[in-house]
Amino acid sequence: MNGVLPTTIIVAGLALAGYAVVETARNRRMGATLLGALGVLEILLLVLVGMIVARLVGGHRPADLAVLIGYLIGIPLIPLAAAFWGALERSRWGPAVAAVAGVVAAVLMVRLHQIWPVIHV
Amino acid sequence: MSEPKAAPELSETQPTSTRTGPGRLLVAIYGLFALAASSRAAVQIATKFHHAPVAYVLSAFAGVVYIIATVTLTAGSRTARRICVVSCSIEFIGVVAVGTWSVLDPASFPDATVWSDYGIGYGFVPLVLPVFGLLWLRYWAKRDKTDTSAA
Repeated sequence: MNGVLPTTIIVAGLALAGYAVVETARNRRMGATLLGALGVLEILLLVLVGMIVARLVGGHRPADLAVLIGYLIGIPLIPLAAAFWGALERSRWGPAVAAVAGVVAAVLMVRLHQIWPVIHV
Repeated sequence: MSEPKAAPELSETQPTSTRTGPGRLLVAIYGLFALAASSRAAVQIATKFHHAPVAYVLSAFAGVVYIIATVTLTAGSRTARRICVVSCSIEFIGVVAVGTWSVLDPASFPDATVWSDYGIGYGFVPLVLPVFGLLWLRYWAKRDKTDTSAA
């Protein structure tokens, strides 16, 4: 596995977070752009989870399989939960929730690499 | 969006519950930490408890504290807010106590907890989260006092 996808996710997550913080500062609600960005992040994360599952199916194993599986289940929930929870909010705090999701997605790439070093960043 | 549009300045100045306005962000972060700390503790206790029992029990305790904060902030009733004040206080004391303990006696922590080194592994969010939680609850306690007719 090369590091293109996790690196893309880090950049996308941080860019999303930066934009969301600007929206919060501008006192804007969650808009179509931010929801679309969360959708893109969701797709990227699902592709990554698929690639990791394919590697597991291929017979490779990390030292701590239980933790990795926990991450594979939890990771795709992040943008989904942020989109729902943030869209319910009709104030600047909706984008703030999206900002958290972007940062968390980026941080989780580093964690994945720690759990299974074949997942490069 | 199908949501009815509230006046933005109204929702900005007067959140309608502990889970809206700034509370939306607090619930999101508490929910995230509830999930992270409790699932991490569950895996650790189930698979390798004897490796670092102190750290894993403290992780589980932190997970419970985060779950209580998430649930009570979401519920937002007067009783829920009282419970949340207690749990956020315990959380703050816990971060400071476990943080200090882990710095003074690293041997007890062969594996990190959410609160090790004052939450450094989580960008010190565990240290500031209870402070913002308590500030948010104080805002609601003040609103209770000025708004006794609603009680």
